[in-house]
Amino acid sequence: MAAILPYEYKYLRAKKKFPHVWCPGCGIGIVMGSIIRAIDSLGWTKNEIMLVSGIGCTSRMPVYLDFNTLHTMHGRALAFATGVKLANPGLKVIAVMGDGDALAIGGNHVIHAARRNIDITSIIVNNFNYGMTGGQHSPTTPMNAVTATSPHGMIEPGFDTCALLSAAGASFVARATVYHVIEMDGLIRQALEKKGFSVVEALSPCPTNYGRANRLGDAVKMMEDMRDNSVTVTKAAKMTPEELSGKIVRGVLAEREAPEYTDLYRELCERVQGKAAEVPK
Amino acid sequence: MARKTGQESTGNTPPVDPKAPPAAAQAPEAAACGQGETCSYVHIFQEWCKGCGICVAFCPKHVLEMGRNQKAFVARPGDCIRCYLCARRCPDFAVTITEELERIRQEGAES
Repeated sequence: MAAILPYEYKYLRAKKKFPHVWCPGCGIGIVMGSIIRAIDSLGWTKNEIMLVSGIGCTSRMPVYLDFNTLHTMHGRALAFATGVKLANPGLKVIAVMGDGDALAIGGNHVIHAARRNIDITSIIVNNFNYGMTGGQHSPTTPMNAVTATSPHGMIEPGFDTCALLSAAGASFVARATVYHVIEMDGLIRQALEKKGFSVVEALSPCPTNYGRANRLGDAVKMMEDMRDNSVTVTKAAKMTPEELSGKIVRGVLAEREAPEYTDLYRELCERVQGKAAEVPK
Repeated sequence: MARKTGQESTGNTPPVDPKAPPAAAQAPEAAACGQGETCSYVHIFQEWCKGCGICVAFCPKHVLEMGRNQKAFVARPGDCIRCYLCARRCPDFAVTITEELERIRQEGAES
């Protein structure tokens, strides 16, 4: 009897690295499954994909996925991804980052990659703290939340990742939660298809650190909270600001057409150097 | 030397410990129908399961239950409606459903 394996198995480095290091109930595995299903539904081969990450829980993802991968310095995933994309524009570059990785240490890289509108898909997994190092507060930790470095409650407001990157000029900005996993598959697929800088913020529970410190219960309870406290974009448009306070708005939050950076760079080289231009396509 | 591709790794030797009991064997209903694997659409890969309980909590038909070893098992395989929610929400890639690939390809083309 042949063993029946998850079909995602063909994209995983299953023999070497599994079971993975993420805690029981951590949502990063669900996001990883969504990325696999989105890529699979598009029919892309493994050799076309370049997966870049920095440091952190989320950034362990390239260790488990059998694409071309790059595991780089803390916060610098997009800096490396930009270099990869310019050197070989034919690759589909995906940058996976955690909230601290993307918005604190790599905050400048994120906003400038969005401003350039370079054709990179970035998946920002937001679990509201730095999970790997013991649950310190991150730029997305909400007000009054308890973490290892804010034991009496956080006094800073958190970032709205999607509003930030939408304002910075990203082509596609969407928010998903790991509870709404089918919706997340579709949003990641749309982001991968979109030409230009596209962002999907995936909200994920961290039951070990953030959930325990704030007494939010186990992973199941945290996912139920996501279900109860989130609304779609179409529903949110009909709600008053009072009703919307404390709610997570999910879905496609911004989508626009803008010139893409590698195209502009190639045009520039061809204009300046004429036929001598040697720009990879 | 080229790196391994997925086509090679899907077929031959799966990372299953042959000593590990099949998931369905722990459930009395599954055992009653003889061959647990063929009776059930849903399979839990015990080696990778970490017992977070997400599949058990969000199964609309309560097909799955937590076992005594804090891992999920297929308690009522006959009730499975193949909605694939457990397989998609499993963070550990431990839940699989037969014939899932075709279904997801179809949905991906539609969405």
